[in-house]
Amino acid sequence: MRRFISITLALNLLLSLTACFGPPVDPDTVQESIQVIAMDTAMLISTYGKRSTAAAYASEDLIRDLEAQLSRTEEDSEVSRLNAADGRPTEVGPDLAALLTAAEEYRADTGGAFDITVAPVVSAWGFTEDSFRVPAQAELETLLEKVDGSAVRVERTAGGCTAALAPGQSADLGGIAKGYAADKLADLFREYEIPRAIATLGGNVLAWGDRPDGTAWRVGVQDPARPDEQNGFVGILNLKNSFAVTSGGYQRYFEEDGRTYHHIIDPATGYPADSDLTSVTVVAEVLPPDAEQLYGPGTMCDALSTALFVMGREQALNFWTSRKNAFDLVLVTKDGEIYVTGGIAEDFVFDEESGYAYPVLVK
Amino acid sequence: MRTRSWSSKPNGWDALVVLAVIALALGSALAVWGGGGESGEALTAVVIIDGKEADRFSPADLLEGPRTYSNGSYTLEAAYGLRGAESAPLDHEPPSGEAGVRVAWADCPTQDCVRTGLITRSGQSIVCLPGRIIIRLEGGAPDGGIVDAVVG
Repeated sequence: MRRFISITLALNLLLSLTACFGPPVDPDTVQESIQVIAMDTAMLISTYGKRSTAAAYASEDLIRDLEAQLSRTEEDSEVSRLNAADGRPTEVGPDLAALLTAAEEYRADTGGAFDITVAPVVSAWGFTEDSFRVPAQAELETLLEKVDGSAVRVERTAGGCTAALAPGQSADLGGIAKGYAADKLADLFREYEIPRAIATLGGNVLAWGDRPDGTAWRVGVQDPARPDEQNGFVGILNLKNSFAVTSGGYQRYFEEDGRTYHHIIDPATGYPADSDLTSVTVVAEVLPPDAEQLYGPGTMCDALSTALFVMGREQALNFWTSRKNAFDLVLVTKDGEIYVTGGIAEDFVFDEESGYAYPVLVK
Repeated sequence: MRTRSWSSKPNGWDALVVLAVIALALGSALAVWGGGGESGEALTAVVIIDGKEADRFSPADLLEGPRTYSNGSYTLEAAYGLRGAESAPLDHEPPSGEAGVRVAWADCPTQDCVRTGLITRSGQSIVCLPGRIIIRLEGGAPDGGIVDAVVG
């Protein structure tokens, strides 16, 4: 009996010692990070919680799967087959069907400022292959005749979905696919019961839940005037359960004969958008799951950030005023002004050392 | 019933049990101390090419010479760097600073990896998009950056 007691006491000692040295680990703070190069950008996904590792690997699979369907450079992808079909219907999976439907909604909504069929014009400028050139006006006019997203057809069939472009058209989903991927990541995090996560997909951020210390995720809005500077921000957005996407001409551009040409092509002119903005950030909250919804706020943020950059300050703010509750904006203008819309006024912390005038609050 | 074996005098077995348990307890404690997260580990550079780990080394290993990595038709050279050593006085003291990795040159058109400059903290990375190469730092002091993510 005495020996039994001594072993019990010793085991207690052992347990209490390990308890002292190993503070209880909160399963919600266990973290896994993965970095993926996909969809022409670098992605970093950090998940937390008991199933963080499984969720991180599932996230990578999800992104690779989407890339395989949507790539314009892989000959066998659904998008490549759609583009090569020269107007004939091709079979498409639910993701491409949803993306084409979303693209048409935002094209119509923005008066054509966002249009996936502008792809051949973007390629003519060399932004698809990184072989930059200034196309001749005649070449642009010929290409512009085929730019018309309203011609894209998506139909449900007995076996699934088919889609067709107009003959001679081609589509590029690069301006909307990362946002759609962010929407799907939100669904995945929900399915894996991930309490918190932060995902950066190129210029797209999904801030899921809150930080391990209970505060909001801090998302820096890059200063368009200092694109290569780490911590070169116009301000910081404090976000929980939100998507944020930035578009700006500074992200990709080339110079020729002393002029700068950026990558956001205005579907109306075929030229880089002559915008008075240098960057547009669109923010929207994660919505509760809805089985009817094919795509979500992440997709919207991605499409609108491009469209509102093309529109310019005045039209962008009018657009926001007519749809206030759906999203919020941070606009940076060429004149060094910052506009922040009402819903995120308290979440945006301006960097006073950035050299910009104090942000204008738009209500 | 014989009661002699339950004498109150500790015997060799008791001592052995106590010793074994103390050894176990100390071992567990050390394991917890030693494994207390990434901060206890040395800073390590991990090179990922096409999603697969291709190399793993301490930044100091680059003092023996830079390392080159290729994928597709692109090549880059990773070299040793010291943060804070740029302003070292011109004397005979060896330069001191935060050790890290930078890309000294690359043959890609974008040069984003070269422009990223020196990385010295856990969690920081250099990305070569055309070559699908990532150099990422793990272990050591975490990135003391002021944000969790960046849009732009």
